[in-house]
Amino acid sequence: MSDKKRKKYRLSTGHAIVWRLLRRNISAGQLAGYALANLAGLAIVLTAMQFYRDVTSVWHDEDSFISKDYLIISKKVSGMGSLTGGNVTFSREEIADISAQPWARRVGDFTAAAFNVTASVQMGGAGMSTALFLESIPSEYFDVKPRGWNYDPQNGDPVPVIISKDYLTLYNFGFASSRGLPQVSEAMIGMVPLKLSLSGNGMQEYVDARIVGFSSRLNTIAVPEEFMQWANGKFAEKELPDPSRLIIEVNRPGDPEAAKYLASHDYESAGDKVDNGRAAYFLSVVTTVVIAVGVIISLLAFFILLLSIYLLLQKNREKLHELMQLGYTPKAVARYYCVIVIAVNVAVLVSSVIILAVAAHLWSGPLESIGVNLAPLWPTILTGTVIVALITIGNIVAIRRNICSIFRL
Amino acid sequence: MTDNTMINEITLRRTLPRVFAGSEKESPVKDSEVWLRDLIFRKPEYYLIEAESGTGKSSLCAYIYGSRTDYLGDILFNGTDIREYSIDRWCEIRKRHIAYLPQEMKLFPELTVFENIKIKNQLTGHKTRQEITAMLERLEVAGKINTLAGRLSVGQQQRVAIVRALCQPFDFLLIDEPVSHLDARNNAAVATLIDEEATANGAGVIATSVGNKISLPRFFPLSL
Repeated sequence: MSDKKRKKYRLSTGHAIVWRLLRRNISAGQLAGYALANLAGLAIVLTAMQFYRDVTSVWHDEDSFISKDYLIISKKVSGMGSLTGGNVTFSREEIADISAQPWARRVGDFTAAAFNVTASVQMGGAGMSTALFLESIPSEYFDVKPRGWNYDPQNGDPVPVIISKDYLTLYNFGFASSRGLPQVSEAMIGMVPLKLSLSGNGMQEYVDARIVGFSSRLNTIAVPEEFMQWANGKFAEKELPDPSRLIIEVNRPGDPEAAKYLASHDYESAGDKVDNGRAAYFLSVVTTVVIAVGVIISLLAFFILLLSIYLLLQKNREKLHELMQLGYTPKAVARYYCVIVIAVNVAVLVSSVIILAVAAHLWSGPLESIGVNLAPLWPTILTGTVIVALITIGNIVAIRRNICSIFRL
Repeated sequence: MTDNTMINEITLRRTLPRVFAGSEKESPVKDSEVWLRDLIFRKPEYYLIEAESGTGKSSLCAYIYGSRTDYLGDILFNGTDIREYSIDRWCEIRKRHIAYLPQEMKLFPELTVFENIKIKNQLTGHKTRQEITAMLERLEVAGKINTLAGRLSVGQQQRVAIVRALCQPFDFLLIDEPVSHLDARNNAAVATLIDEEATANGAGVIATSVGNKISLPRFFPLSL
């Protein structure tokens, strides 16, 4: 027989006979049971993951400069304290104690301006002028630095300023509406020219300033560290006071230990972010539980498949042994079972991704209406693919091992 | 020995089934010309191992074919201990170097005669359909080509299994009681076919028998 003819002959016969031989004991019911169980597990895991990512994107989105990994704390001002001029600054010892807490990764100071600041603005024909205070935080605490967040006294660029979102709200809904002044958006206010008058140490200077961002986590008026160093050096008359506010990077947002510590020391954290943190913490606990349930179901399904394949191999033990007696390699006979496993697992993956997409679509309406930017689906789909790939590899390894053990009866 | 090297000799070095350990001084081990001896099977010689039932001839075939390892002593192919062979290596040997007819034939009862042969031949691509049919005709089972193997008589199964065993190149043909259920005429037909195929392959034949001996034209007799 010529090589060409022989090859053709072999191809035409194919592996249909082996397939027919091994197919006999395959139980469609067992495979369907596995597929359903694994589908339930995987769908729960993926849907819970996606929901968590969608919902927590609220907290991520809330402040683009300072993430929820940071707490900004100050001391509570008590009635007595304000009368007696009580100490609202953090001493070195207190800062060291906070740094030593297990939940705190690092602690940074707010540097306050030790000079007089007055800001004036011309808007809609009306001029406003107010005494201000400024603070700076170390630049490395910003997740995202605002555009132009640096200052060089030499080149005369305007000083970038970040103000609390609350101030804009106060202006728009309190001041502007009662005075008949125009309401302004965040984008508009960035274009309003501000003039700062800095004075102290027997000197006075005017500098231009520009509001570059709003933060709901920084309840202050923040300027770059470089500007503060320059201005304090020039206008400060006395030594810089201890910081009255601290920024703390925490290991886990919403850690109840942190909240407990703050309460016991009468410290306040900016805004209601601790409550948000608590909600995030609660949500993460709930999500972990749901994902754990999904993982357990998936694991059980994995073992169901493994057991039903073992059962199938057991039923076909004699045939598999005889095929290998004829010269079929364990790999060659395992291939038929691997094809089944891969087909079922891919079907499970595709179905669970469909369920995920439908579920995400269902909650996208309500979430978007409260201003949530939905997280993309692909990281969740990728996770699902990795899980299914791992399950499939586990199955294939188990099948190969089992068949090799049948090689010698 | 690399994968494609032929097996020129099979050496038994004081080989003994583990079940016989401790009864070396007793029959059948005491009188055996195979167990606990140094023995070399060389191609293209033919060997006929005669044995009584229960003396371990099927075990010997299984040891040489790599499907069992419960023996003492060594078995060597071209001087290499076969215990060292990997599973893949054994699969290659079973496709190219050693053809085997087990005593129980081991046909798949749910497949037809032709499918039973094809399942081996598609692995080796050794014979054409015409060649297979011609062999079946010579052994007078061509008429059963599309019959399920489970429906055949034992004698017919034996002849189909012989054809299947011949669907590969081989250096040695191991045939465990190949004619136990055949009459003299079929015995002669089988012996002629096997002699032709072995000669074509330049191969050795190791046949066993408990009674009905295959009528090969030449052989070294051994008693187990």
